Amino acid sequence: MRLSFWWKLEAFAAFGALLGASNLNAKQQDSFANLGKPFLEKYCLDCHDGDTQKGKVALHELDGVTADNAEIWKRVWEQVALKEMPPRKKETQPSPLDRVKISNWITSELVSAMKEKGGFTSHLRPVKGNHLDHDLLFGKLPEGLEPPSTPARIWRIHPQEHLTRLNDLISFEPPHNPSQPGLRAHGDGIPANSEGEVKVYFGIDRIIGWVGGSAAYAAAITGFPSALTTISDPGLRNYPLLYSINGSEATQIANHAEDILRYMAYGPKAEPFQFANNPKEIILPDELKGRDIRGLAQSVFYSKEPKRPLTPVYDLIQTEGTPEDKLTSAVNFLFEALTFRPPSKQETQTYLALLKDSIQVLGKDEGVILGLSPIFLDHDALFRPELANYGKPDMHGRVMLQGNELALAINAALCYIAPDKFLKEAAAAGRLKTREDVRREVERILNDDGIRKPRILQFFREYFDYDRAGRICKDTTALKGAGGEMAKYYVTMFSMAASTDRLVEMILKEDKNVLAELLTTTRIVLDEKADLRYFSDFEALNKNPPKADRKKDFTPTAAELGYIDLPKGTPTEVRVEKAIARFGPGLGGDPKRVLTTLPAEQRMGILTHPSWLVSHSDAMDNHAIHRGRWVLERLLGGAVPDIPITVDAMLPDEAHQTLRHRMRVTREQECWRCHQKMDPLGLPFEMYNHVGLYRTTDKGNPVDATGEILGTGDPTLDGPVSNALEMIQRLAKSERVTQVFVRHAFRYWMGRNETLNDAPVLQAAYHAYRDSGGSMRALIASLVTSDAFLYRKVDQQRGTE
Amino acid sequence: MILRRDLLRQMAATTAASFLPAAFPRLAAASPVRGGAKRVIFFLQNQGFDPATAIPKDLKESTSLSGVTLPEPINPLEPYKDRIHIINGLHGKHTSPSHSAFFGALGGYRGGIGVPPAAATIDHVVSGLLPETILPHLCIGMDSIENMQARPTLATLSAAGAGQPIFMHSNPNNLYQMLFGGIASGDVKQRHDARSKVFNQIEHLAGDYSAMLPPEDWLRYRTFVSGFRDINGLRERLAGVSEHLKQFAPARDTKFTNPQFETDWHDSLLELGISALKSGLTNVLTIASGRGEIFGSWKGLGVTTTGHNLGHMDQPGNEIWIKIRQYNCRMLVKLMQALESIPEGNGTMMDNSLIVYTSNNADKQHTTGSNWPFILLGNCAGQFKTGQFTQLDGKRPINALYATLLHAIGSPRDRFNLDKNAASLYDSSVGPIEQLLA
Repeated sequence: MRLSFWWKLEAFAAFGALLGASNLNAKQQDSFANLGKPFLEKYCLDCHDGDTQKGKVALHELDGVTADNAEIWKRVWEQVALKEMPPRKKETQPSPLDRVKISNWITSELVSAMKEKGGFTSHLRPVKGNHLDHDLLFGKLPEGLEPPSTPARIWRIHPQEHLTRLNDLISFEPPHNPSQPGLRAHGDGIPANSEGEVKVYFGIDRIIGWVGGSAAYAAAITGFPSALTTISDPGLRNYPLLYSINGSEATQIANHAEDILRYMAYGPKAEPFQFANNPKEIILPDELKGRDIRGLAQSVFYSKEPKRPLTPVYDLIQTEGTPEDKLTSAVNFLFEALTFRPPSKQETQTYLALLKDSIQVLGKDEGVILGLSPIFLDHDALFRPELANYGKPDMHGRVMLQGNELALAINAALCYIAPDKFLKEAAAAGRLKTREDVRREVERILNDDGIRKPRILQFFREYFDYDRAGRICKDTTALKGAGGEMAKYYVTMFSMAASTDRLVEMILKEDKNVLAELLTTTRIVLDEKADLRYFSDFEALNKNPPKADRKKDFTPTAAELGYIDLPKGTPTEVRVEKAIARFGPGLGGDPKRVLTTLPAEQRMGILTHPSWLVSHSDAMDNHAIHRGRWVLERLLGGAVPDIPITVDAMLPDEAHQTLRHRMRVTREQECWRCHQKMDPLGLPFEMYNHVGLYRTTDKGNPVDATGEILGTGDPTLDGPVSNALEMIQRLAKSERVTQVFVRHAFRYWMGRNETLNDAPVLQAAYHAYRDSGGSMRALIASLVTSDAFLYRKVDQQRGTE
Repeated sequence: MILRRDLLRQMAATTAASFLPAAFPRLAAASPVRGGAKRVIFFLQNQGFDPATAIPKDLKESTSLSGVTLPEPINPLEPYKDRIHIINGLHGKHTSPSHSAFFGALGGYRGGIGVPPAAATIDHVVSGLLPETILPHLCIGMDSIENMQARPTLATLSAAGAGQPIFMHSNPNNLYQMLFGGIASGDVKQRHDARSKVFNQIEHLAGDYSAMLPPEDWLRYRTFVSGFRDINGLRERLAGVSEHLKQFAPARDTKFTNPQFETDWHDSLLELGISALKSGLTNVLTIASGRGEIFGSWKGLGVTTTGHNLGHMDQPGNEIWIKIRQYNCRMLVKLMQALESIPEGNGTMMDNSLIVYTSNNADKQHTTGSNWPFILLGNCAGQFKTGQFTQLDGKRPINALYATLLHAIGSPRDRFNLDKNAASLYDSSVGPIEQLLA
């Protein structure tokens, strides 16, 4: 680790004296009088007192943190934490540790002050992770740091985890097929459909035909999306602090539960005529004959052969009466399927009593459905506990996770479905007690392709944000003008995210220099029928290509259309939602793809793929600010403060000007302080247009894709770049960039932002990754066997109402 | 001294992300609201409200609507033009309304897709100030049938506070069960009761677990528990007034159970909203046509284009938009007629009501928000001018209209959701918009 700033050595030497042998959390005795006010007086009031009020900000009358002045204190926190203030030209600067100390004090005060005003959690959110100084984390480890741990907590399960649990109740998914590793297998996440929606469908495997085209089919089939929601912010978004379950979600879960139980018991909700061995055998009832039934539930036909899992719920319905053993089996089966653990005797009795009550009131058929539905709302079916309510805390108040909680934590780090039998057995037999035990299990799972690990792929989706392209609403005219094709555009964009998923998986399989490879590879996974257009050269595509003419039996070749000519490549597959698999090529339903390569002078790595470029664009144009912010935050470890509400952040609407020219407004004094960190990192991507096409001209002039990396303090990074490719190459070689990647991996797997106490974990993880030649498996194993993952800080206080 | 109203309001404020926004214990009662205003309805059409579709040609200055003819898109309001107030020249530049301001449309703050609400929205604030009702704030959302089935509840426009979205209902059958399930008989009643019992048990089970949690988790988990409490509490309160509700429950016909088009469900949702108002179940109804997003479907009107592309069309002179706007206006007329049919005090319910019609996208889908037209219907117990067109100078934000509304119902304040710094940039004045008030 290179120490580039003079203050580091001095700061760490003084660390013990400043902070004692504890951590850097704000102490009880810190107050406005002895910490906040002296800090303002020493570093702020020169420019922000009653007379000066630079930038119309006056802090001379600022008192301790209250709800009324919270917005000002929040700005002070961000400016200080991000080293925006005092201005760099000022000689008197707080030390990095002083910045951490005042930041911690302000945020802890904000938490108190805003308790009854909607709360304050901004500092704990993923987007604020970089507010902690990078060089402090990766510098010399200070003595006396409290060992890492994570607060005891519950973690609301991820919507994908919830859906895969529910899907397992009603569908069979094939096991992993090593000869077609890209195809969806049991344990993989549920893919989005052609509209980008992630749903579990009823009876898809059993459908043998339908009336009408694909739109009618899509309207007629039934399914449900997750009732659980996630924020749609870019970046990491699965922190426990962000989620609970509200009344609306609970009601939807209850409704879905009844639909699922009905399907488990009876199969597809359809009329008898809809079941046949062959669609030709279907005879419509008289009342439907001659009617247009496209899109109606009656337009779908099912095989007579049941294909769903036949569970104890099915057994119970099939059995005469309500024998105690069948009732108990149904309760126990559902409980374990939904919570990933067997019920206690008490839990069995509780749910059994509810089931019997319902049957008594409603009769067997309806009573079973209603009576079993509460299990879907059990707290352990929706929240994964990491409470560590056992054992004696160590001298730091930490307890290591044990037994089922530990097994589920390991499993949830990698998988959505239940732990495999070996992990369960290890927990049950007492072979999951030490760090070495955990490492053994984690490495076993990581090395077994048969155990699907969608959580790893999800990390890369959230880290890169390449899966948002289909959700960027495009202006029709702007899309066409950029070379896009509206008819299949959104389907193609959602499909491209699946292709990028596959590329990520291939690079993960190789497990060598994973980040650098993702940033610089010339390989792509391509749907030749749909994607080729968006990997092409805008100028070539725009030369009035010949149109297909059916009468003359003329279909233009790819070259005539101006499409890029890529090597033939090798076949591969991607995961496609079963419900749309029948739609076939061009409509997102075809899993077939090719692995091929792109011209190195045009594209390099995921950041130059349409899936990423479009994900960071807007309706009309590129979004150089978003792209620059992505590079700043995810690669360089920087951040910008929240935009004050008073900022009117609109670029001028000048359709005939380049984006670079329109962005001149960000150079105004108050804007440029933040935009100088983002804009020069985003403008190099101007070599592509807003639908991802490569281009050499922009509004009739040669493209200006120049930019600059600024302010990292690393001479191998800082400096101008001529275009995105040069910038990416430089970034991919950077030690700092790799460390920032490790910081994001830490956040993802711990579900929280790092603190200074986590510095040893981060450094160990970084070394594990670097020393293994860039192995993601080594990085994950290091994180998941760390104290931050294994230990919970146990607060003796427990909630009561 | 803690007043009951304060206590209840606090309860409402802490009901995070509830789809039952708060739990007030009785039907509408007398309240010291200025002029006797009793209910407000907010109606937001998505994808913009182009002023040219509502302002009679050649009207540039504020004037009476007497003697002018309303443009075709809003001509269903022609017989009622003495009771409406068309407002042009407010702005919402600070709300990022392009592709919808989402919560910012009713909150008067920056919104965006997936952005949580920054504060309570005007509809929720008004609901807390008007006479108390069992369900003080009901939100209904209209969309394509597929979307309403797949996501029967959604929160994009209304909020009880920072980070506290309020969910709108889009499946009329579910909403019917919720509001009127208790008045059913036979099997439906039996099932309603069995379900109530199950939910009570779930609430107990969930509550027991909370005692094991650390404080921060307990606070989050409380949302889960309070969700059941809301559901169960509402069910009990509705059961307590079931006799009263019977006379107002709409007929649950095939439009509910077997809709041909999405507009059948739109109409059904409106029926339920009207029933909730007429029966005194609620004092604020928020109607979201297009559910606050940039999609939506109106096949029942013969509009085959759906979704985002509708927003790319210029609205003036556009046949599709004329159909949609006229459909909105017919709904507004239906609302007014329904409220006029119920006596209240010396007049009718409509005399004490106000309908606020606008868009969550300001004037168009891709907009800077520099103009944000509104139509007010009714005079809110004599507080607002009617039969009027008011042209403002573009220097007052939508927040000022909301502050005016609060002024009209007896809760005057300088600004709504706009601090001093923001006001210095976005508001040329303080307090209500006097031109609008009677």
